[in-house]
Formats: sequence, structure tokens, C-alpha cells
Amino acid sequence: MQRKQRIATLAVVMILVLATLAGAETTRKEIHFKVGRRSSISIVNQYGPISVKAGPGKRVMVTATLYSGKVEIDQSKRGNRVSVLSHLLDGADADSGRVDYEVVVPADASVTLHSTTGPLHVEKLHGDVTLEGSTATVDVRDMISAHVHIKTLNGPVTLTNLSDGYVEVTSVSGDVALNAVNGAQVHVNSSSGKIHYDGDFGEAGQYSLTSHSGDIEAIAPSYASIEVVARSVQGRVENDFPLEPEHTSFVARAGSAFAGTVGKAASSVKLLSFSGKIHLKKRQ
Amino acid sequence: MTCEEFERVLPELGSGHSMEQEEHLKTCSTCSDLVADLNAISRQSRLLQGSEEPSPWVWNSIEVALRQEGLIREPQQGQGQSFIHPPRLSWKLRWLVPAAAALLVAFGVLMHQRGTGRAQLADQQSRPVGVVTADLQHSNPADVMGGDDLQLLETVASRTPSMRAAYEANLRAVNAYIRDAEQSANSDPNDEVAQQYLRNAYEQKAMVYEMALDRSLP
Repeated sequence: MQRKQRIATLAVVMILVLATLAGAETTRKEIHFKVGRRSSISIVNQYGPISVKAGPGKRVMVTATLYSGKVEIDQSKRGNRVSVLSHLLDGADADSGRVDYEVVVPADASVTLHSTTGPLHVEKLHGDVTLEGSTATVDVRDMISAHVHIKTLNGPVTLTNLSDGYVEVTSVSGDVALNAVNGAQVHVNSSSGKIHYDGDFGEAGQYSLTSHSGDIEAIAPSYASIEVVARSVQGRVENDFPLEPEHTSFVARAGSAFAGTVGKAASSVKLLSFSGKIHLKKRQ
Repeated sequence: MTCEEFERVLPELGSGHSMEQEEHLKTCSTCSDLVADLNAISRQSRLLQGSEEPSPWVWNSIEVALRQEGLIREPQQGQGQSFIHPPRLSWKLRWLVPAAAALLVAFGVLMHQRGTGRAQLADQQSRPVGVVTADLQHSNPADVMGGDDLQLLETVASRTPSMRAAYEANLRAVNAYIRDAEQSANSDPNDEVAQQYLRNAYEQKAMVYEMALDRSLP
């Protein structure tokens, strides 16, 4: 019995020692900047997540968690422009070079995030937002009147609740999902990633969802007001809406292309794929 | 004598200086340094004479370029072949001759390169709209990884070996998009949708290159 207790005690001590050693490698840094209106914030983080949220006041608060001594945080503020960079030291890799960022910025700030692995998360802003990540998952939500530019190689992109925005997404093979996204310009350009749109296409926007081989699915309510053209050179095209024909140079072909209007045709919608399937669905 | 006055007479100076100029040079380090620099350039420029003679096309290019610019004209009948009469220069200014020649050579090379670029552009413009990117078409269609692509992958691999596979897969996807878009655009150059495919495909490729070459990321 005593032996079991001794082993248990020893195990607890070992765990505590290991946790202490592991904790010693983790460093948490907080950096604060005072900025003015429409400030510009740039964060470059090779490995690790960046999460940006809107906060009150005119302050930028950066909380960075570093997991080793092989990475440093470089920071600068020039006028109204803040720059934070994960500076990898020799020998750093995806694990030792990882930094987790949690950032609070003024809602009107312009934010530029670069990361290889991500994920990248931004919410509740209404300035310009530029997000680039090779394999990074990108999640943007609850934005009003924001310009959102996203580029990924194969990182999936999810946009949720973006209204009155200007949205531009380019991804080679990452899937792109837009939920309740509308604005004057909404463009998605993908090669092999799937594109999913679920929204009402707003009132006076131009929507362009194009892919090479990725499928495109657009779901809209029956009250949607759109002028739509859809075409897939090699894929199948389906449409659930009763379309009013219109005079256009676009050649409709059963099963591979359609064009027409729904309601007052307030917004223009282009669904174009080379070999992917296209489906314009009516929301049930 | 002031520095300004000295600089004004500097181009006229021969091998000797007047007393006044000598006095100024003794007391003014700026002007004496300037004269020393000019003398050094003069000496070095003579060595250019021994350098390799440019090929005839360089001179032809210069002549053609100068003719196009209207700086030289065909000799009128009755005049001799030589239509440029070099002015007599003091020896101090002779260093300008090889320097000007060097400049002309550089100008000729530049014009030649621009001419080549224009020729390529004209070649592209003369093709159907969708064929502006025919370089990729000419590469191996089964693989479609051009030399630039391979170089890009090497660059990525040298910085972050683990990212090479991702870039390669995405480059192949983009190249396939370009290939299909080009075929589509070629089959119907007036098809606006086909042009849109092509623009999008190249936008993707540009993005891949931009991301790969972004020095801020591995």
C-alpha cells in the first residue's frame, strides 16, 4: 500500500516538474499602442493563429503567446500605423516558432494579417481587412461596411454575417463558404476549392463566384432579386428558380448554362465554373 | 576667386591653371578634390579604349535608335559619308568621349531590349486574345510546370521545405486552370466568359507567385 502511495506521489511530482518545465518555455507578452482614427495594423506571424476583434477606444492591445525562445516579437508604431512581426530566430520551426496572437483593435482600423499556418480570425470590424495565409483557415464574421480581401492557397475560408461590404476572396484549392454575405462587390475566385453561398444577394450588388473544377452552390430565398448567369463548360448546371428570360449575349444551354432574372433583378450574380457543378438552390 | 567662378571656368581648363586658379585650388579642398576626381576619371576612361569592342548590332541599334529619335539624319546627296563632325575638344574634356560611348552602348542595349520586348508584345497582340500566355502552352502539356514554376518551388523549398508540396499541388491546379481557360478562350475569342476564366486563372497564378515570394512569410 505504502509502495503504491509512493509511486503515486512520485508521478504527481514528475507531472508537476514537467509542467513547470513546459511552462517555462511559454511566454506571454502584452503590447499596447495608442492610435488615432482609421489606424493601420499589420501582423505577420509565420506559425500560429491570429485573432482580431474590435474593442472600445483608440487602443491596440496585442497579446502574444510564445512557445520557445526561438522567436521574438518585433513591434513598431509609426504615426497611426502599427506593425507587429514574429521574428524567427535560427533553427525555429513550425512548433518552436509558433506564436498565438489575440488582438483588440478599434473597429475602424484597417487590419492586415499574414500567416502561413493560421488560423486567421477577424470579427466586428468595419475598416479594410486583408488576410493572407498559405494553408491558414480564415474565418471572418460580423462585419459591416468592411472591405475584405482574402488570399489563401489551400486554406478554407468562411465568411459569416458580412453586410454592405466589398469582398474579394482568391483561393487556389481552399473551400470558400459565404453565409449571409452581401455588398456592392462580392467576388470569389477559386481553382479547385468548392464555393458555397447562402444568402439573399442583397439589393444592388455584383456577385461573381468562379471556379475551375470546384463545385459552386448558391442558396437564396425565393424573394431574392437577382439577374443571374451560370455556366459550366464541362460540369452540370442546375437551377431551382423560375427565371424570367432576358435579352443577353449569354447563350443558355440546358444542363450547362442558364441566364435570367428573379424578382426585380437588383443584384447581378455570375456563377461560372469550368468543370465544376453549379447549383442555384432555392432555400426551403 | 570663388568656388562658383572656378566651376564656371573648369570645363575650359587645359593642362595648366592660371595663378588665380592655382591659388584657389591651394586654399579650397572642395575644388581641388573636384579637379583630382576629374583627372582620375580622365585617366581611367582612357583604359576603356582597350575594352572589348561591342558587336556591330549594338552600333546598328544605336544608329537606328538615334535615327528614330531624329537625332541624326541621312546624309544629303553631294555631301561626304561622314555626317558627324566631332568638335575639337580640349584634353580635359576628352574623357567625355569614352564615357559618352559607354553611355551610348548602354542606351543601345536598352533600346535593343525594349525592341525585343515590343516585338514580343506585338507577337502576343497579333495572336488571338486567348493566346497571350502561350508560353505555358508550349511547355509540356502533360506536366505544365514551366521553368519559372520549378524555380519558384526551389525558392519555397529553400526557405520552408514543408511548404514545397503545397505550392507544387497548387501550381499544378492553377496551371490546369490556365490550360483549360486558354483552350476555351482560343475556341471562341469573343466569349466574354472564357476571357473571365482566363483572367481568373492568371489572377490565381499571380497570387501563388506573390505568396511564394513574399519575404515576410516562409
